[in-house]
Amino acid sequence: MTARVASGRPGPRGGRARVAGGLAAVLLVLAATVTGCAALSDAAPGCGQPLRLAIVAQSLPPASYLPCIRTLPQGWSTSGFRAAPGGTSFLLSSDRSPGQPVRVRLIAACRPGDTSPSPPRAPGVVTYTRLTSISPRFAGSLYDVFPGGCVSYSFDFTLGSQISLMEQFEQAVGLYPRQQLRLVLKHKLGVELRP
Amino acid sequence: MSTLPTPNSGALGPEVTPLLAASGGRWRRRPSGEPPPLPRPIGRGIRWYLLLGGLTAALWAGMSIPAVLGLITGADLVVLRVIATVRTVWLTHLMLDVNTLTSPWVVRLVAWTTIAVLAGFRRFRHLAVYLIVFLAAGLLVSAMMLELGRMRPTGIEILGPWQGYSQPSRPVAMLTLALVGALYTLVPAGRWRNRGKWAVAVILGMACVARLYLAVDHPTDVATALIIGWPLAVVVFWLAVPNEAFPVSYSGRRKAHLDIGGQRGEAIVSALDRQLGLAVTRVEPFGLEASAGSTPLRLHARAADGGEVTLFGKLYAVSHLRSDRWYKLARTVIYGRLEDEKPFSTVRRLVEYEDHLLRLMRDAGLPTPRQYGFTEITPEREYLIVMEFFDGAREMRGGPIGDQVITDALGVVRRMWDVGVAHRDIKPSNILVRDGMVLLIDVAFAAVRPTPWRQAVDLANMMLTLALLSTPERVYQRALEVFAAQDVAEAFAACRSVTVPTQLRSLVRADGRDLVGQFRRLAPGRRPVPVQLWNIRRVGVTAMLLASLAAAVAVFAGYMKVAGLL
Repeated sequence: MTARVASGRPGPRGGRARVAGGLAAVLLVLAATVTGCAALSDAAPGCGQPLRLAIVAQSLPPASYLPCIRTLPQGWSTSGFRAAPGGTSFLLSSDRSPGQPVRVRLIAACRPGDTSPSPPRAPGVVTYTRLTSISPRFAGSLYDVFPGGCVSYSFDFTLGSQISLMEQFEQAVGLYPRQQLRLVLKHKLGVELRP
Repeated sequence: MSTLPTPNSGALGPEVTPLLAASGGRWRRRPSGEPPPLPRPIGRGIRWYLLLGGLTAALWAGMSIPAVLGLITGADLVVLRVIATVRTVWLTHLMLDVNTLTSPWVVRLVAWTTIAVLAGFRRFRHLAVYLIVFLAAGLLVSAMMLELGRMRPTGIEILGPWQGYSQPSRPVAMLTLALVGALYTLVPAGRWRNRGKWAVAVILGMACVARLYLAVDHPTDVATALIIGWPLAVVVFWLAVPNEAFPVSYSGRRKAHLDIGGQRGEAIVSALDRQLGLAVTRVEPFGLEASAGSTPLRLHARAADGGEVTLFGKLYAVSHLRSDRWYKLARTVIYGRLEDEKPFSTVRRLVEYEDHLLRLMRDAGLPTPRQYGFTEITPEREYLIVMEFFDGAREMRGGPIGDQVITDALGVVRRMWDVGVAHRDIKPSNILVRDGMVLLIDVAFAAVRPTPWRQAVDLANMMLTLALLSTPERVYQRALEVFAAQDVAEAFAACRSVTVPTQLRSLVRADGRDLVGQFRRLAPGRRPVPVQLWNIRRVGVTAMLLASLAAAVAVFAGYMKVAGLL
């Protein structure tokens, strides 16, 4: 008869690390995918991307100018691009104004109300500024009004940094003439942008 | 019917001369390049789907070149203008109504219903694949929309609602994913799924026609959306939840059991013929209700004398391997002491192990079935192990048993102790009796050089099984003929609810007698052997599992938002 060791103490350890590791890997990939999705946020089209800008033109056919991203200053980013019949909107965020992005909207008409005029940003465009608060926050709206539409910029900055932030976002957003886009589309794709 | 001789229990078995007839073709080596008996099916449909995926990729590559995009857009607009010629007021109203099929609310309704049904039927693998497909395809669509930035049709009045870039059409892709996902995870393959395909095709056809009529999308936007939503999704389902391994069924049949009809049935007969030289005439399921870890089969083969012999087979597949892994992972977390249950890395390893154990236990003189080797049905995916069928044997349950059987059964455990193996699944359905002799089956869980605790548990389970058909006193007295009283004390000191197989536990509970308590009172006193064992590995695995669950909840919430289901 073979001798048998009495039990009562642990035996060899078994490992389920492979399975657990596989599970964790799947979840990590999934999490990374979701996180990556956040980075996949809708960026607004640049002024040098006329083919992408066409969708903005289609969202508001009468608008003679289209908002686009000229150059993004350091620390700024765009997100939340949404183009649909009736207009386009997107967000401009600065790392110096966390949680308070500038909301840019292309719509058919603006109601500037009690506003003061500002220097025009493009030929045929009338620009207004309306401040709703100066202290403790610098908040209000900027309007670019032109034939067939209007671009509004809603901002809400902390006091102290508002001057540079205002300058930066005004530089960041350009106005692309519809007429020019029409010519580019005709030339590059051979299609007519109507109207 | 002739049967194979079986060695006596507890004694070395005689060398058994096979009584089986070799098939006409004898053994045959499969030459390189020849497909296995059951090749992993890559249907014509899958090839077409992959081709369509390639075409979509080529189309997207072309669209990044303005000149090519102009050509494609021109062709698209020609089609849309032709369609626009049939526009009428009533037809426009109808098409606007039909277009509501692509609304996010319809997609949410279909998707949530699918998720609820899959969760309700505990089909979690299908559910996970469904969610991953939905998320991945949704991300692909979003990424390509942003990458291509294609405008909506121009030069034609757009009559319906739209949002964002047009290529690929997100509403069409999401509706297709929702419907195809439901089809491939909820509807059983075969007639019903084929009918479902037609129904889905009709719904999608109507939605696509409506969107083209309304000039919301270009034809190529719709085409690529359909390809993402249908063929690519089907390829993922084919890879992750192949119907052969994970069939959708509502018949109440155990999910672990494979269908042995059709191509698989033919492949089994062919494999047994060519690889083992067995002339099998009939294959049938056997004892499915008692098995969850494999698909048990009864095989009828031609005997050398022209008669018929019956063999027993166990078909193992990837699904069994995965179930085994999850089962062992759960047990590791819940019971640290059972850590000697190592998962197998592949199906081949699993079946090789059982084949080895069958040979080893028989060589050791244990009354286990004679092994006939195993066959490869699909490389690394399906294997069939063949062994002797104990014809005329009955499970050790129901009627009373005599002292001879009790002694014989305890002698089997004694023999296992002596040769250093543990069965690890001693229960009435794994102990057969024929002509007063005890036979042991299902050695798949057995271990060589097990922990002493495992061996003690084997003894306790055997004594409980015997006591169900007699009395603890009788069994204890017989046990003292081959075991020391301290051995019995140790067995019941190690005995816990978790160490008793489910079937045996149920029978003990139904019996009503406190069998474990009676055995403990009969045996000398002994401190309980601890079952719950905490070690670094168990802590780590448990922590990782909990973290994974928390992450899964967070990811799921994020996923629902991203996939547009919230």
